[in-house]
Amino acid sequence: MNNIYRPTEAVLEDIILESPTIKTFIIRPKEPFEFKTGQFIELTLPGIGEAPFTPSSDPNIKDKIDVTIMNVGRVTSLLHNSTKNISLGIRGPYGKGYPLDKFEGKDILVVGGGVGLAPLRSLLFSLFAQLDRYNKVVLRYGARTPTDIIYKDSIPQWAKKKKVDIVTTVDVGEPGWKGNVGLVTTILKDMPVDLKKAISVVCGPPIMMKFVTLKLLELGFAPKDIYLSMEKNMSCGLGKCGHCRLGRYYTCKDGPVFTYEELKDIHDIWD
Amino acid sequence: MYNIYYTENSQLNEFADRLRSKFKVFSAAVRPANFTKETDYSYKTLDKAESIVFNPYRAVEPLKSFFTHPQEKASEYFVPDEKIIPLGRTVIFGVKSCDIAGHKIQDFVFLEGVEVDSLYRIKRENTILVSSDCTDFKQVCHCLAWDILPHPTWGFDLNLSPLNDGFVVEVGSARGEELVKGYKEYFIPAKDTQISGCRQKRENLISRLKKHLLPQNLVRKDSVQRLMKDGYNLDTWQQFMLTCVECGGCNFICDTCHCFLLADKKKQPQNLKVKVWDSCQYANYARVAGGANPLKMRAQRLRFRFTKKFDFFVDNLGIPACCGCGRCIEVCPGKIDLREVLKDLAKKLKG
Repeated sequence: MNNIYRPTEAVLEDIILESPTIKTFIIRPKEPFEFKTGQFIELTLPGIGEAPFTPSSDPNIKDKIDVTIMNVGRVTSLLHNSTKNISLGIRGPYGKGYPLDKFEGKDILVVGGGVGLAPLRSLLFSLFAQLDRYNKVVLRYGARTPTDIIYKDSIPQWAKKKKVDIVTTVDVGEPGWKGNVGLVTTILKDMPVDLKKAISVVCGPPIMMKFVTLKLLELGFAPKDIYLSMEKNMSCGLGKCGHCRLGRYYTCKDGPVFTYEELKDIHDIWD
Repeated sequence: MYNIYYTENSQLNEFADRLRSKFKVFSAAVRPANFTKETDYSYKTLDKAESIVFNPYRAVEPLKSFFTHPQEKASEYFVPDEKIIPLGRTVIFGVKSCDIAGHKIQDFVFLEGVEVDSLYRIKRENTILVSSDCTDFKQVCHCLAWDILPHPTWGFDLNLSPLNDGFVVEVGSARGEELVKGYKEYFIPAKDTQISGCRQKRENLISRLKKHLLPQNLVRKDSVQRLMKDGYNLDTWQQFMLTCVECGGCNFICDTCHCFLLADKKKQPQNLKVKVWDSCQYANYARVAGGANPLKMRAQRLRFRFTKKFDFFVDNLGIPACCGCGRCIEVCPGKIDLREVLKDLAKKLKG
């Protein structure tokens, strides 16, 4: 009988420094492991502990998975201090990903905050792979400081693509920074999106998601067209352990991507 | 419909003793007297030639303690073709109606949903439940408030209804029927008078329990979800959490609570993944990396426990996740009484 809690072995093949607190870990699972963009995995240090992450790589790449991780807790700090070639455990993928079929023909507004750009990068790769299916892709990204911006080399490359429009901002500038300064909500104006056929996808810290959602509603986005990635402490990933309950849902199996329509009547969703 | 049999006390004991060669057999046993002055019963393994003790009401332990454990191995690193080894077969005597009703939640969590928990399924498939009617109740018992009768009507393999010097044995499953057939020397078809004798005893207990519950003025099953929705911001949560010492006892003793943490454990030669019971009353239950915690306050956690039982499960399974066994009331060192919390919400919303 199949054991649903069994981790698959994966080798940590490479580590890329994205910012002083964020690294991308490239892992190669030893068994076939496929995911859909927006689904998450549990990444384990065997015998030590695990944590949930949404891969940041292109789901069309089948042999490797990128996971971009901020050093914030016990497992993430041990990961940040580990070296290449160690053996990791991986479980999943879990949850429902981004419903790409519902995005077809639409103007897709992607709003990211901080390390929240990680799952969105996976989404962007999926969108870029079939840009003809969508009307356009508009990315608005905010980081705390210019140093904290991740995927620094990729963003200008993405901006060169046809049908792609990107604006970034930082909360606090640094000497030499010529870009926008201000919270991400300040760049959510005069956007080249047609509200009649636009959807938005938001990922970032809860406080950022809250204010971005309020801004998007103000701009005229319908609650059903705002897709949010909810952050909870998913443990089992299968809707059994109870931890990630959000009202009548489990974030792990019913999410982690929800529309605001699904969440708007639930108390304290931003806490 | 399955058949109904009769067995005498001595025959039941011989039957149980013979089962021991094929099964691990559990039965109730009297516990040393406790401060409530009510006799308590606990499950124990039935030893050779030991008699079955009939418990008039539910045991101290929840039924879930046979299927999930405070800590158990979930998997090993890394065994690609890891097999789950079937465990020995078990028969449990002394299961009550509330246990069966509460256990429906465990079955829903572990046997349904996106994936089946095979560890749980194997234990479930290898366990035979021999339930029995309640012939008395504890002060905290309130099954009727949730429309659960004090005698099982479903979910058992065999059910025993005490009558005179024996039991009327109801069969509730093909597995139960098979068991009776395998030991048919101990069972004879029940007479109509015996069946109606049992019915009468059941009715008597129901009216005694009703009399016990009526003055308590408990909230109704169909109003409880509304209480959760409308009472979300009431000070009830604040008020009742004041004596909570965050021991998690209410969760661990509950037949419906199922939360666990999938944790890691260092071990040679293979590290382990373990399932460890967790409690939503613990401060770190919902904490995420980085320190954010949507359930920082005890009042939020108390409310979380209630909304899980009376809102989430009503939405997802159509029933509240409480079987009225009252274990959480007995176990709580802070004397937090689930019935009183619900009544307080109802009172404040009415006023």
